[in-house]
Amino acid sequence: MNEWLVAATVLVVALAPCLALCMAGQPVDGLVALEIAGILTTAILVLLAEGLHRQSFVDLAVVFAVLNFAGGLAFARMLERRL
Amino acid sequence: MTRELPVAILLVAGVALMLLSCVGLVAMRSTLDRLHYAGPAGLGALLVSTAVTVEESFSLIGNKSLAVGVFVVLSGVVLVHVTARAVRVHELGRWEIGRGEDVEVEEP
Repeated sequence: MNEWLVAATVLVVALAPCLALCMAGQPVDGLVALEIAGILTTAILVLLAEGLHRQSFVDLAVVFAVLNFAGGLAFARMLERRL
Repeated sequence: MTRELPVAILLVAGVALMLLSCVGLVAMRSTLDRLHYAGPAGLGALLVSTAVTVEESFSLIGNKSLAVGVFVVLSGVVLVHVTARAVRVHELGRWEIGRGEDVEVEEP
């Protein structure tokens, strides 16, 4: 287990408070937690691609970053409409 | 390898920044206070992806991870703004400034 995988494991642990806030908080709090969890997940995917020596897996991080952006926009728009 | 020290510094700094923003996310009370921590988390992701780029130089993974880091920071700015707007509409029912609301705004 190299240092990249250790860092990825630490960041996976850091996803737990985001998940707790998503489940327990208000919908807008959950949206903020979801955005921060998406940033953490992007970093985790980059770290896993480097740590596992599968360099082409970094495409997953690229796709996830774009999808996280689109998802955040869509959720924010839905929260505005639903009131 | 002379690259080990900068890689370690960047990696530890990035992971610490993201951990701190998770702590801040849970510790704050209001939604807008929590929203402040999306910025440091994006900068942490940029530091981590810079660490990968320094380790691997400009290769397949180096270029793409740097691009991911920059994209996360840039899209984070837009996401924070859109979310703050959604929070305001969610709380007040409108986006515009109200009559009695004390906001510094430059009239055209």
